[in-house]
Amino acid sequence: MTKYLKILLLVMLVFVSCQNRSGSAKQKKMAIIVSTLNNPWFVFLAQTAAAQAKSLGYESKIFDSQNNTALETDHFENAIASGYSAILFNPTDANGSVVNVQKAKKAGVPVFCMDREVNSPDATSQILSDSYSGCVSLAKYFVQTLHKKGNYVELLGIVADNNTWARSKGFHSLVDYYPGLKMVAQQSADFDRNKGLEVMESILQAHPDIDAVFAGNDAMAMGAFQALVAAGKAGHVKVFGFDGAEDAIQAIKDKKISATAMQFPKVMAQTAANYADAYFKGKRDFPKKIPVAVELVTYDNINDYIAYGKK
Amino acid sequence: MIKKVIKYAAAIIIVVFIASNSIYFKKLSDVKASAAKQFDAAKYARNYLKTQLIPFAGTAPQAGELLTLLKTKPANAFKTYAHGLDIGNIRFFMVQSQGVVTSVDENDVYVLTKDKQTIKIALEYVFGNALRDAPGLININDFTNTMDLNNIAAEVDKIVRNEVLPPFKSAVKKGDTISFAGAFELNQEHINLDKIEVIPVTLKIDQ
Repeated sequence: MTKYLKILLLVMLVFVSCQNRSGSAKQKKMAIIVSTLNNPWFVFLAQTAAAQAKSLGYESKIFDSQNNTALETDHFENAIASGYSAILFNPTDANGSVVNVQKAKKAGVPVFCMDREVNSPDATSQILSDSYSGCVSLAKYFVQTLHKKGNYVELLGIVADNNTWARSKGFHSLVDYYPGLKMVAQQSADFDRNKGLEVMESILQAHPDIDAVFAGNDAMAMGAFQALVAAGKAGHVKVFGFDGAEDAIQAIKDKKISATAMQFPKVMAQTAANYADAYFKGKRDFPKKIPVAVELVTYDNINDYIAYGKK
Repeated sequence: MIKKVIKYAAAIIIVVFIASNSIYFKKLSDVKASAAKQFDAAKYARNYLKTQLIPFAGTAPQAGELLTLLKTKPANAFKTYAHGLDIGNIRFFMVQSQGVVTSVDENDVYVLTKDKQTIKIALEYVFGNALRDAPGLININDFTNTMDLNNIAAEVDKIVRNEVLPPFKSAVKKGDTISFAGAFELNQEHINLDKIEVIPVTLKIDQ
């Protein structure tokens, strides 16, 4: 009798453990690790990814790397240890973040990059703004607005981020054909508004005679605009940004800045969450890189757009 | 004495071991072969232009036909004729036609086609992805490096700027009849047909 009871208990134990396993399969979770939540653009990216994960029936949690790769590594370790089944990732550093992606791959956790690129084939898929092409369009408008001549300043983003160089290269691939346009200064302001202001103030000391500023994102463009206002040059100097952030869209409406290139964080975040969902359902043949089109926004078409490409 | 010999022998072995692991040699031919594997965008672009883009341009819809479709059934026009490597609203169309030049300025030539459509063809700003993407012949999954794709677009445009535009620009004038083929960009969310500017791939003055 005791023997039968033991066997029955064993069978029940196996049954219960199987049930738990199938239950955990249903409760997959997505970790959303973003470079910084100190910039409203990335907040929107993260929140949209979380909302999409929720609409697909998954739990998610947002981790803020505060532009620090060491903190990002901690988040990856926590996410893997806590049983997150996929990571929707906005990297801090194209090279510095590679090790984290490798760590996730080793643990069997797929990584879907949003907006920023990692220099590694180990990410499952990378959904990235077509920054280069967006800046070619922006550069054409830049040349037309300046009538092919003038002195200009370029504010670069974070030097270790691929987007910084994709934007700069796209811009120069067109502008450099016009010898009448002279770049008098090129300096990094780390995609940061306050640094954009400080860097622009210092550049204006050395180069007061400028006609335009090309900034690698809207935060730096707005910082540069503030510096130009303080120097009494805002009326003359044309400012061009990139992102489609809320204050930049308003500034275009108010004719304070000339143009921006609209990115679509919503498209990137939703695609990343959808890809993770497809991965859970067995799909494995993801394109390594998917560019998302960027659109030129000027005063002429400003009514077609609102911040962050939201519809 | 023997101990000293062992000591020196061990020291020599350690030094030789460290030195041999600090430097390495590769055959020059191997290095050259590896460098040659780097993507040659200029070569790819020339081959693409000759064997894919120009033959495809000959099969592109006539400008009048395409513009009419874009006005009457835009969704149909995008579904049938538009392509693009990016996801999003930007799409590209191939087009061809013949017409009479109504004006020429520093940036564009304006042509009135047989079916009374005015088309603007770029003579100055030949940049961007239109010629790369419009035929839909390039597969994004064949490229792991996005900069390779950017460079293809830049090199195709460069060939047009350096080889197609100069003989045409120096000769074209109002009243000429010309034949052309090219590509243009359109935003499928915000369709603005007045802003269409064709990036040419072939331009010929007929008379």
